[in-house]
Amino acid sequence: MVAPILTVNGISKHFGGLKAVENVDFQVFPGEILGILGPNGAGKTVLFNMISGVYRPTEGTIDFRGERIEGLPSHLVARKGIGRTFQIVKPFTSLTVLQNVLVAKGIMKYGHLSRIWGPWGSRKDINEAKEILERVGLIELADRKAGLLPLGNLRRLEIARALVVGHTMLLLDESFSGLRHEEIGRLEALIRDIRDSGRTIILIEHNMRVTMRLCSRIIVLDHGRKIAEGEPKDIQKNELVIEAYLGRKGVLDVP
Amino acid sequence: MLSSYAITIGTIIVIQAIAVCGLNVIVGFAGQISLGHAAFFGIGAYTSAILTVKAGLSFWTALPIVIAIGGLIGLMLGLPSIRVREDFLAITTIGINFIVEALFRYIPFFGGALGIGGIPRIMLFDIRMKGIPFFFLCLFFLCIVILICWWFTRSWASLAFYAIREEETAASAMGISPVRFKLLAFVMGTSMAALSGSLYAHYMQFINAGDFSFPVSVGFLSMLVLGGIGTIWGPVIGTVILGVLPELFRPLVDYRILFYTLLLLVMIRFQPGGLLGEKSLVKNILSRTFKRC
Repeated sequence: MVAPILTVNGISKHFGGLKAVENVDFQVFPGEILGILGPNGAGKTVLFNMISGVYRPTEGTIDFRGERIEGLPSHLVARKGIGRTFQIVKPFTSLTVLQNVLVAKGIMKYGHLSRIWGPWGSRKDINEAKEILERVGLIELADRKAGLLPLGNLRRLEIARALVVGHTMLLLDESFSGLRHEEIGRLEALIRDIRDSGRTIILIEHNMRVTMRLCSRIIVLDHGRKIAEGEPKDIQKNELVIEAYLGRKGVLDVP
Repeated sequence: MLSSYAITIGTIIVIQAIAVCGLNVIVGFAGQISLGHAAFFGIGAYTSAILTVKAGLSFWTALPIVIAIGGLIGLMLGLPSIRVREDFLAITTIGINFIVEALFRYIPFFGGALGIGGIPRIMLFDIRMKGIPFFFLCLFFLCIVILICWWFTRSWASLAFYAIREEETAASAMGISPVRFKLLAFVMGTSMAALSGSLYAHYMQFINAGDFSFPVSVGFLSMLVLGGIGTIWGPVIGTVILGVLPELFRPLVDYRILFYTLLLLVMIRFQPGGLLGEKSLVKNILSRTFKRC
């Protein structure tokens, strides 16, 4: 049995009286794609925000490669090799696509004052950043201002930045939403490719079909609680999941 | 021969431009609003005045201390300030300005309401700097400050600043500590203000708490917004225009603050990038006419 890379243990997040996430446990194993499903407001993004250090959990622990990371500030979580994207894309709009990736490359610069003050575009950094843009298919747009890109490209840019930071794990928050049909296919291939390069991925998705195709395991949240966990084919048949998504069966046919 | 009047105006403009460049680092590069920049301008002026008048140091020995103290106080006041953002940060910095001004005014060590007088002129190669030589000395310091800003915009640190300015959450998800870089901006900006204040003190030879009041901060911000926030030359252009205009319309001098405020509103509404910033009307017109030629 392989040891998990990330262990989430009894984690909760309360905003005043609202229990956004309540006592959720799960494990992620190296090299897998774990899907997190759930209707709107189920607490998926809150869960991501706790793992990536945006929120401090009200209760529970998060263990990443033997280290406790809950409550660590975001930038320190990032430096442990966890990259993330945002559901509402957050490009650095006045910078070019290439510069956006170079910002992320700064994670290697910490502790090197001379490098922080050195030029932003050393040849080595630029080449490495371009390789990543090539991989996500944005190389032609490298010198375009990020603020001018359409949503599909911005989602790729988010992944490019997350790739630089997340050399161990990537958290992808609804990377497929708002994409056209052909873009979905390409993004799926990219995510598989990232997984094959040895990274672990957790993805939040609304699109059932994509999740079923990509993920090796899925957990389902509803009202902040985990209601199911398992392989895609089991999740599809799970009564609780169907109920969460489609409502209670047979409400109308009361005798 | 230039009249001494023109030299005086020119010198004041150059001194102010140094402070506005510092404000540009905080507001333009790092995106942190500050409405209390005059406080740090004042801290520089008072520190230099005290070190030269009371401790008997020369301007040149005092200068590194002045810049360091300016940066250090910027760091100390920045630390609590950056816990708040945007409007709240604006209010906090206004508060800092009023507090610093009050300390100068009411603590006898700072000369109280009378201020500090008898500040010596700067000596350079045994020459007492005033008039044209002093103007060029200030211009020299302005060039250094601009050079630092120019260097900065080519460094990786500037990308980190822009990232924090535009999407703080995303920047920290990229491993950038927003606290550290915002403080860096405050330290850079306030030490430039302190340098500017020091030159001001040795030029005026007499300073008083009123020279560093809140309206002065509004003036600095107006110059920056007019010239172009986040550009290299914007602070200089803005300071020159707002430094010369009131002299041309002498009778309107009493309405300066009203004018500044209106200008701020108009610029932010119609030309948020300033004269040299993005989508600038002036730049557009210039580039079009040059293309036609």
